[in-house]
Amino acid sequence: MNEVSLLHGFLTIGALLFGIGLIGFLSRRNMIVMFLAVEMMIQGVSVSFVAWGRYHNNWDGQVMVIVMLAVAACEAAIAMALILMVFERSGKLDIAVHQRYREDNQPEYVDRDLPPPEDKAQVWPNLTPAGVEPEHDPEETAYRSHV
Amino acid sequence: MFELTTWMVLIPALPLAAALLTAALGPRLLKNKSHLPAVLCIAASFVCASILLWQVYQQTDDDGVPGGSSRVEKRLDLWTWAAVPAAMTHSGDSATDATTAEDSSFDFVIDVTLRTDPLSAIMLVMVTFVATLVAVYSIGYMNDDPGYWRFFTYVSLFVFSMTMLVSVSNFALLYVFWEAVGVCSYLLIGFWYQKPEASAAGMKAFLVNRVGDFGFALGVFLIWTTLGTLNFHDTEVDGVITQPGVFGQQVLSDGDYSSFPLATAGVLTAICLLLFVGACGKSAQWPLHVWLPDAMEGPTPVSALIHAATMVTAGVYMVARCTPLFVASGAAPIVVACIGCLTAIMAGFIAITQTDLKRILAYSTVSQLGFMFLALGTASLAGVVAGMFHLFTHAFFKACLFLGAGSVMHAMGGVIDIRRFGGLRKLMPVTHATFLLGCLALAGVIPFAGFWSKDAVLAAVHDAAHGDPSTNALFTTLYWLAWAAALCTAFYTFRAFFQTFYGEEEIPEEAGHHAHESPSTMTIPLMLLGFLALAAGALGPWFSNFLAHTPSLSMERLRGAEHAGFHWDVAIIGTVISVVGIGAAAFMYLRSPGTVSALTDTMKAAWLYQLSYGKLFFDQLYSVFIIWPLKILAHIFYVLDMLLIDGLVNLCGWLPRVFGAVLRPMQIGLVQFYALAMVLGLLVLIGILLR
Amino acid sequence: MSSESLLYAAATVLGAVGMWLLLPRPGERLRWGGAAMSVVALGLILSQISPLGDMLSQSMFVVLGSVTVIAAAAAVTFRNPVYCAIWFAMMLLGTAGLFLLQGAHFLGVATIVVYAGAILVTLLFVLMLANPRGNAPYDRLSWEGPLSATAGIVLVGMLTMTLSSVLKSPTLADDLPSALLTAQAVGSGNSDTEQAAARNGGQDILSEHHSASLGGRMFSAHLVSIEVAGVLLFAALVGAVAIIAHSRSVRSDKQTLAGKQAMQTPSTNGRAGA
Repeated sequence: MNEVSLLHGFLTIGALLFGIGLIGFLSRRNMIVMFLAVEMMIQGVSVSFVAWGRYHNNWDGQVMVIVMLAVAACEAAIAMALILMVFERSGKLDIAVHQRYREDNQPEYVDRDLPPPEDKAQVWPNLTPAGVEPEHDPEETAYRSHV
Repeated sequence: MFELTTWMVLIPALPLAAALLTAALGPRLLKNKSHLPAVLCIAASFVCASILLWQVYQQTDDDGVPGGSSRVEKRLDLWTWAAVPAAMTHSGDSATDATTAEDSSFDFVIDVTLRTDPLSAIMLVMVTFVATLVAVYSIGYMNDDPGYWRFFTYVSLFVFSMTMLVSVSNFALLYVFWEAVGVCSYLLIGFWYQKPEASAAGMKAFLVNRVGDFGFALGVFLIWTTLGTLNFHDTEVDGVITQPGVFGQQVLSDGDYSSFPLATAGVLTAICLLLFVGACGKSAQWPLHVWLPDAMEGPTPVSALIHAATMVTAGVYMVARCTPLFVASGAAPIVVACIGCLTAIMAGFIAITQTDLKRILAYSTVSQLGFMFLALGTASLAGVVAGMFHLFTHAFFKACLFLGAGSVMHAMGGVIDIRRFGGLRKLMPVTHATFLLGCLALAGVIPFAGFWSKDAVLAAVHDAAHGDPSTNALFTTLYWLAWAAALCTAFYTFRAFFQTFYGEEEIPEEAGHHAHESPSTMTIPLMLLGFLALAAGALGPWFSNFLAHTPSLSMERLRGAEHAGFHWDVAIIGTVISVVGIGAAAFMYLRSPGTVSALTDTMKAAWLYQLSYGKLFFDQLYSVFIIWPLKILAHIFYVLDMLLIDGLVNLCGWLPRVFGAVLRPMQIGLVQFYALAMVLGLLVLIGILLR
Repeated sequence: MSSESLLYAAATVLGAVGMWLLLPRPGERLRWGGAAMSVVALGLILSQISPLGDMLSQSMFVVLGSVTVIAAAAAVTFRNPVYCAIWFAMMLLGTAGLFLLQGAHFLGVATIVVYAGAILVTLLFVLMLANPRGNAPYDRLSWEGPLSATAGIVLVGMLTMTLSSVLKSPTLADDLPSALLTAQAVGSGNSDTEQAAARNGGQDILSEHHSASLGGRMFSAHLVSIEVAGVLLFAALVGAVAIIAHSRSVRSDKQTLAGKQAMQTPSTNGRAGA
């Protein structure tokens, strides 16, 4: 097998994953999708690590990827917790909720050209509660906005 | 224990201790007893000074010859204040110059050295004596003043500075205490700082003195660069003179400064004139005399102590101390004599028409200081002795007059204008009597102290007028001008005296119903000083004999001039002139008051009255020619400062703000825009790196 | 400008425009056009990679790489976050396959287990706990789409162009690590691994005892890193629990407050708590 070509191919894939993840991170507004994009960038780096490890016949690249897996897991845990909290407060997963850090006297960002509402209602998968149905808290469903 | 050196240390140390004690305890603990440390310590200091004088006198006694050659000098090295190695005083570029390279080996050392010799012993006694009396007097005068403790702190501090000033043996320390007495003077002139006139007068005194002190400092620098030392005395190591002092034995035995290669007559003249500028500032000589009359805004005891008896004579003391330098320079003493005589007659002329009792006395002080400088300017032993003697007697009778004026002021509720009161001799008999003694001494009536000292001064000038032919004519002129000044003195003194104590009894309404004789704490010092104004003249022969033992006054070149004997013609002219002056005053102010207004009108027509009354318009001249240009310059600089400097500084603050204002709209607070900016920057960076 | 540079420039432009077209935005999106352009750009970039020499490996690589990249592009461009997450899982599967192709067996499995199995499921849980109904406007918008797409794709273009210019240079063969040279000389990498390992200080990532070797390496030379990762995991666990607990307490406070308000003023509904 042509080792250099293998390296080339894997590094190319890694670069593509990184770039696409970057695009996602920069352009998407849903915090969860942004998080996915970041994970994608990490994945691109992982691919590159493994490729270099193979090329140099060295374990360190793979060990590094394992550490990155652990870090990604931590990241996921914290990020999900934070996102949940923000969602509970604002009822949105929109990153534009966070814009209080702007300079004084700057106007607040508001979406100017909102897309027209979709005509057909989107079907969402829903988690069915297992076991006996718990008592519903009317407050809990009342204060959440519909995304 | 009871060595000479003990007293030398105790004399300044006691007032310093009093000052510290009063400052520390006065406001809370001592309060109305704040005078206790000051009076006790200054009195103890006077006792020490008397013992010192006695011990010094005993040492002069051994040869018994008047003006004998024995030199009495005692030094006490306390510690080294500053020492700079020779390598540091010259940076090496002077090595090309042969003469300066030779001088560059001097170490710059300032030792805190106290010295005593007849000159400083007399000054110490005089200063502490007057200070003691003034302190006692102040107990009564300053009673109930809110700044009671502050007053005695300042006075003690002043006595410390003044005793140190006359004790030190080094120009650097002399300068330090020269400034210290200036500071005390400033503090005491502005003692009632709530009064705008008082604080302005304090400022004026300080600023005018700054001009003089600047010259003095330059003179000290020039002494250092020329002579390589600032010490008065020789520096000895194991009995070998390693560095001749400015007035050291080696210089004095040579009689000139030939051992200093740089000390040519021209340089010495420059030194002397610069030192004399300092003396002019401190001793209020023309053209720096303007501060002294205004200094009368201070409390009257201060005027008596600082601005009549002691501090203003520091200049005279310094010039007398530097006699060897002045003699060696040749030209400088003539300048001193001319300035002194000019000041004497000018101040006398101004004093004739003043109406403020204290101002009259202030101008009289300026005038008498002029007499002293005139005597010193003859550059003869007789002249120096006469000048110092006049200083000595003047301290007593002028202090007596000032304290008397203060007593009057105290009784009149602060009014000091002689036109507003009169006929006080019944009301204040003690003040009247002592004031009369002072006036007679000031006018120079035989046998009062002032007669003898003024006689000695004029005799010295008379001798100078018949001495060196090249300066004969000049000194003859000065001699007759001095007589004119003496005539003015006699006239204005008794004008003030008659207007105050004779005529119809007249009391200003400020005095209220308690116009009365002053308390005994005030009258006892008055009586003592009055007695001395009468009797101090008797010390004359002893004084000149004693003073001649001062090392710096016993050099060979001074000895050439014989001690000025008693000149009958001088005595007769003096008596006649004083009698004429007193008589004119008596005629105008007692006999026929109508002549006063007639004469005033005549004088007004000739503009003489306005000149005199306006103090020769020196203040106005200085305003126009010095203060206004400086103010205009200051305004120009202010505008420059506002526009240029502040503008630059503000620009430095304004530019980032504008830059920030341009960039601020980018801070919209959306995280991804920042990320996008980062990525774009990263792209540029990677593009550059991968290229 | 060489033909290669032109090719990369074309790929970059095509990719940027394609990605922009794919990204959610209001109005007509021309998704199929964007997808076609992106695929063409991907093909252009992959075409610059020299053949691996081994047909099976070559085809595996092409298939897995394409799946990974296309799934990645889909994951960031779909409007519905649930679909995004599912495409992300697809990308992870592709990556895992690539890892297996590289001989990193343990990593391939670990990626699937940890990412697809744990992280992604957590993510889907969150999405469904959030329980969004219908299309949110912010999912149908994107920030600065053209600029973002251009920035990302230009980065990819620069990296890949540099890669091909460096890795396709003839002098590179001289710099190859000795073990790989040996492996190349022997033939396919899977044979004679003992010899190669002996010559490479006992390291051979293609050995049969792959997981054992990796574990040995991990718990010897990289022990500190692993321990740090463990501590980090623990801290993250505590942190996540703390955050959630905090938000719960805040929410319950708000709810009681809102409840009181609701009792006092019946017209106010529970939304005040949000």
